[in-house]
Formats: sequence, structure tokens, C-alpha cells
Amino acid sequence: MELDNKSSKVKLIASGLIPFAFLIILMAYIFGPGSDLLDLGVPLPEITVEKVDFLDSEIQVTVRNTGPISVEVAMADINDRIQPAAVEPDKYLNRYETALVRIPFEWNEAEPYRIGITIEDGTRFEKEIKAAAPAVKPSIELAWFFAIIGTYVGIIPVMIGLLWLPFIKRISKQKYHFFLALTVGLLLFLGIDSVEEALEVSKENLADVFNGGLLAATVTVLSFLGLYYASEKLLKTTKSSRLTKPVAIALMISIGIGLHNFGEGLAIGAAVGMGSIAFSTFLIIGFALHNTTEGIAIAAPMSREKKVIGKLAIMGMIAGSPAIFGAWVGGFSYSPFSSVIFLSIGAGAIFQVIIIILNMIRVDCNNNLSTASVVSGISVGMVVMYLTGILI
Amino acid sequence: MMALIATIVTISSLFVAFSEGITAQQQENVFVTHSGAVVKTTGDILDPLYTASTVEFDPMEYLRDFNYGRVSQLSDGTTLREFTIIANDDEIMEVSTGIFYNVWTFNGTVPGPTIRATEGDLLRINFINNGSKEHTIHFHGIHPAEMDGVFEPVGGNGGQFVYEFTAGPVGVHPYHCHVMPLEEHIVHGLYGVFIVDPKEERPPADEMVMVLNGFDTDFDTENNFYAANTIPFYYQHHPIQINTDELIRIYVVNMVEFDPINNFHLHGNLYKYYPTGTDLVPSFYTDMITLSQTERGIMEFEYEYPGKYLFHAHKVEFSEKGWTGIFMVNDNEEEKESDEYGT
Repeated sequence: MELDNKSSKVKLIASGLIPFAFLIILMAYIFGPGSDLLDLGVPLPEITVEKVDFLDSEIQVTVRNTGPISVEVAMADINDRIQPAAVEPDKYLNRYETALVRIPFEWNEAEPYRIGITIEDGTRFEKEIKAAAPAVKPSIELAWFFAIIGTYVGIIPVMIGLLWLPFIKRISKQKYHFFLALTVGLLLFLGIDSVEEALEVSKENLADVFNGGLLAATVTVLSFLGLYYASEKLLKTTKSSRLTKPVAIALMISIGIGLHNFGEGLAIGAAVGMGSIAFSTFLIIGFALHNTTEGIAIAAPMSREKKVIGKLAIMGMIAGSPAIFGAWVGGFSYSPFSSVIFLSIGAGAIFQVIIIILNMIRVDCNNNLSTASVVSGISVGMVVMYLTGILI
Repeated sequence: MMALIATIVTISSLFVAFSEGITAQQQENVFVTHSGAVVKTTGDILDPLYTASTVEFDPMEYLRDFNYGRVSQLSDGTTLREFTIIANDDEIMEVSTGIFYNVWTFNGTVPGPTIRATEGDLLRINFINNGSKEHTIHFHGIHPAEMDGVFEPVGGNGGQFVYEFTAGPVGVHPYHCHVMPLEEHIVHGLYGVFIVDPKEERPPADEMVMVLNGFDTDFDTENNFYAANTIPFYYQHHPIQINTDELIRIYVVNMVEFDPINNFHLHGNLYKYYPTGTDLVPSFYTDMITLSQTERGIMEFEYEYPGKYLFHAHKVEFSEKGWTGIFMVNDNEEEKESDEYGT
């Protein structure tokens, strides 16, 4: 018997590996040395200027090889005028490799600049900076500044939103459903907003080779699935733990919103970091107004519980404080790649929360989601978000 | 919860992998900017402006290189000058430090050889086209229609044609390929200078040829580089050595395409200018001439004071993209070694 078991195991493994072996042979045949099957045309080199920092008498440019072949950085220019420069660690860039091009230059604040990098075949790649601003240097003051902004944007508005709890507590079941559905509408809007933002960042700042749109889609789906799985586990444990089901749902909502707010913090930090101060003021006011509605989203499922003040405060922190961390990351080490990822995680988290709340309403009203309170709640939620979004 | 943690770990590791991990090397390189700032780097220097470097083509050699051809006398006493010019269009040349471009050439260089004759000489130019495309040589000047190099395209891979005409008029003229699309054939480098001397020679001078040209290396119909004699900034880091109180004569030809004008400004001096070089009396005494496509002339000047003098396009965009250089004027008595600019 044992022998049989072993040989069947070997067979199993072998049957799993044999297709792989053929796949490797196929790849070797197509791409291997001496194969000219895929020798179709000339591969075009490409580099992407990912980041431009304005330092004292120097402009620093981060370039990445985003093409199919290795390139050599040959020349730098500013406003189409050739400048002497240094490239570190060296001018040879393999695929996906980055280098820092340092251009000594007396730049003027708030003026636009076009930074050009020319590679060895004479192709010039350009990045336009709308207004030069001194690069953000990490400092305690700035970290503190970001923390305060994060508090204004994340924690305080969510806490204010939570103050609607006593109101929601006193209303009828139907109206309660309306508010839950309102939450769904709010979140749906935020989720779509996050996806749109992720696509925008990837379109504007991410090289084509990263396939930004699909990166956003993949991460959103993964984030959704991961949190979906986690929340099911969490809801199952409510039976044996002190958490009640509504509290668990509220917790999931606050985690989802927290991930979303991380993305918002990222946007604010990046805007400050890239020197678009006016833009970041707009962002701060917009997000603050927006985020009070997030407090309602957390409060609504908890409204039928007792002794919730402490829990609510914790959830407010979970939902709000990631804005601070987001601002730090966005301000001190911005990269379009990580932005797309964080925004997509936030989107996935929000879609997951929507499913949970809808499920909660469905169970509560006997598998019927087409009630007037649900439909009107979602609609009003979307409209409110849209209006608070454009009123600023 | 595990999935959440796993996601976060994956994301953060991606974040680390794609952030800028630049490792420092040991040795340090140094370069000096125009304003005198000293920049140290552990990496490579990209400085076509001030850091002396050489590329395949030597503008210093081209500057004073005149080709008088294989000379013989015809029975009627006319001087016959024979030249062989071979066209090619497959050469990749380093047109600026580290930048490689497919140049089309007459005798292997851009510009092609400077052809020089005296008015009335018979010129016989054996043209061989070793390129893959059709090419011709079209001389500016006076000649029969069938010698114009326009309607007699010479096939590639060894096609031949003999251009034969009498040198004239006196002056400085361009020659270039005249096959369509014309702009493409010119901007790739198929041009050169043709000088016709008057029978009574001009006064002796330190003579030079400067072809003002440019390269559109990314094919967007805008020049990426400009230069006097092909290599951007070359005469800035390799100043042209001249002497005080010595007559300098420059045959200047503007071959820049795409941009409607070019110009030539000389520092610390003015020059006598002979448009097209057809007259022996100067038309202008100036430090600034404006040149349209293939517009050309002869400049004459002498420096009174020794030292370092710029010459450049006063269309500053061109000078900041390479069309700039330096005359190092040495004292005639004791010829001193000069410092290199920027050091």
C-alpha cells in the first residue's frame, strides 16, 4: 500500500510538471539564442522622467528605462537648452533601472520648466513642470504639519460624522435602512472616485510599460478579495467573541475607509511635495467635507448597539488616522507606482464594505433590496457626494 | 486578517523594490559649470559644453582643410582639377558626445570635403554613389543645366556620374545632394563647401571654413543640435588658436534646415563681410550677420588684443544647443599655450 501511495504521488507530481517542461522548451525555442522567429522590426528605446526635484542651484531628475531595451543617458537639457549634468550611479540603464540626473541650474521659483533627457540614439524625452517649487525635505516640522493636516482631513471629519449616531438611533427601521443605504451610496461614490484617481495617476505619471489601468484593476480586485475573505472570518468569530455582528461590520467599514483615507493623505502629501500648494488647499477642504459623510457610514450599522462610544472613537481613529500616514508617504517618498497601488487597495476595500452593508440590509429585510428606503438611500448618497465634491 | 497582512506585505515590498535604490560608487568625477560651480559626482558626467572630448569627426582638421584636387594642364593652358567624391548613407556617427546618428556623407564626413579652385579652372568631379539611395551633387554657381545635379539622379550601390564645368563665379558656394525628399538628404549631412578664388589672389590670411549646421536626431523637424562644423560646442572646449595682428578669413556657409535664419556674432571685434564672396570690396563692417538657408559669405578681421573671444549664433537658442566657439588670440611675438575654457 505504502509503495503504491508513493508511486501515485510521483505520478501526480510528474503529471503536474510535464506541461511546464514543454512550456520551457517552447519558450527556449521562441526566445532562445539563434532564434530569429520573433525578430520583427526595431525595438524602440523609451525612458520616463518619473520625478523632478528642485534643490539649491540644482535640478534632480529621476529617469527610468521603461522600454524594451537597455539605453544610455547621453544629455540633459532645460527648456530645450543643453546643460552640463551628472548621472548617478551611471548612464547605462537596463530595463526598469533608474538613474538620477543632476543638472546644476539656477532655477526660479514658480516658473515652468521643461526637462529634457536625450539618449544615445538622439531621442529626446521631456517632462514639463508647471511651476518650480523647492523640493520637500523631510523634517520634524513638516512631519508634524502633515500630521495636523491628516488630523483635519481624516480624524476630525470622521468624528464629526459619528455625532449623527444619536439621531440615527432614534429613527424607525425603515429610516435606518435608508441611512444604511445612504452609506452604500457614499461608499460607492468614494470607490469609483478612487478608481478614477488611480487611473488618472497612472495615465499622467506612470510609464505605459507598467500598464497602469490593469495594475489598478488587479490590485482593486485583490484588495477586495483579501478583505472579503478576512471579513467573513471576522464575522464568523463574532459568535465566540465579544464583538457583535454590527460592530464587526462597522469595524470592517472603518478599515475600508481607513485604506481609502490613506489614499487621500497620499494625494495631499504628494500635492504639497510637488509644490502645488493651491491645489493641496483645495484637496484638504474637499476631503474634510467629504469625510464627515464617512462618519455616518461607520455610525449607521452601530446604531442598534449599546455602549458604543468607546468603540466608535477607536473606529474613528482607524478610519481617520491613515490620512496622516498617507500624507507622510505621499510627501516624503512619492512615487506614482505606489500611489496607484494604494488608491486601488482603497477602492477594493470600499467595494468590499459595500457588499457587507448590502448583505446586512438584505438579511434585515427578508432578501428584498428593492425597497424605497434602500433605493432612495443609495441615490441620495451618490448625489450628496457629488455635490460636496463640486461645491468646493 | 491573514489576507490583509499578506496584501500589505506584498505592497510594501513592491514599494521598496521600485523606490530609488541608488548605490554609491567609489571614485568621484568633477565638472565645472559656466558660473564656476564645481560639481562632484560618483556617477558619469554628461557635459558636451565644457568638458573636452573628441568624437570621430575632427572639426579642427576640417577647419583649415582645403582640397585643390589632382591638378593637370590642358593643351590650351587651362588648369584641370579632378576630384573624386563618394556618397554613403549607412554610417552611424557620434554627432555629439554619446549621441549616435545615421549621417549621409560625401567622402565619409559631414560636411564633405571643401573643394577649392581658381576662377576659370575646369573642374571634373567623379561622383560615385555607394549609398543605398539615389544621390547627386548639386553645386551652387554657374554651369550647364545637365551638370546641375537635379534631373540626373545617380543610383546607389556604385552608380557614377562625372560633373564637369568651369569654376565660377568667384566666391564661396555650397554643394549638396538634390534628390527628393530634399530636406531629408540635406539634413542627414550631404553638403559641403565650394570655394572659387579670384585669379588675382586675395591677400594672405589664416583661412578657415565654417559650415553652420544642425542635426535633428529625433526626427521631429526641429534641430536638436547646432554647430559650426558639425560637432556642438567643439570650438568651445577646443578653442581655435589665432594670432594678434594676423588677417583671419572665414568662409562661412549656413546649411541649417528647419529654422529660417541663423547668424554669426563675433566678440571683441568687427569683421568685413563679403556676401557670397562674389565681390572684392566688403559690403558691411559689422559683428553680426544674418543668414538664411545656404546663404554664405566671407568674413575678414584681425584681433588687436590677445585673449579669449567667443563667437556664436546670437540666436541664443542655437548657441545653447552647440553653435558656439572660442578664438584664443595669442600674442604674435611669443606664441603661448592657452588654457582650456572652463578649467
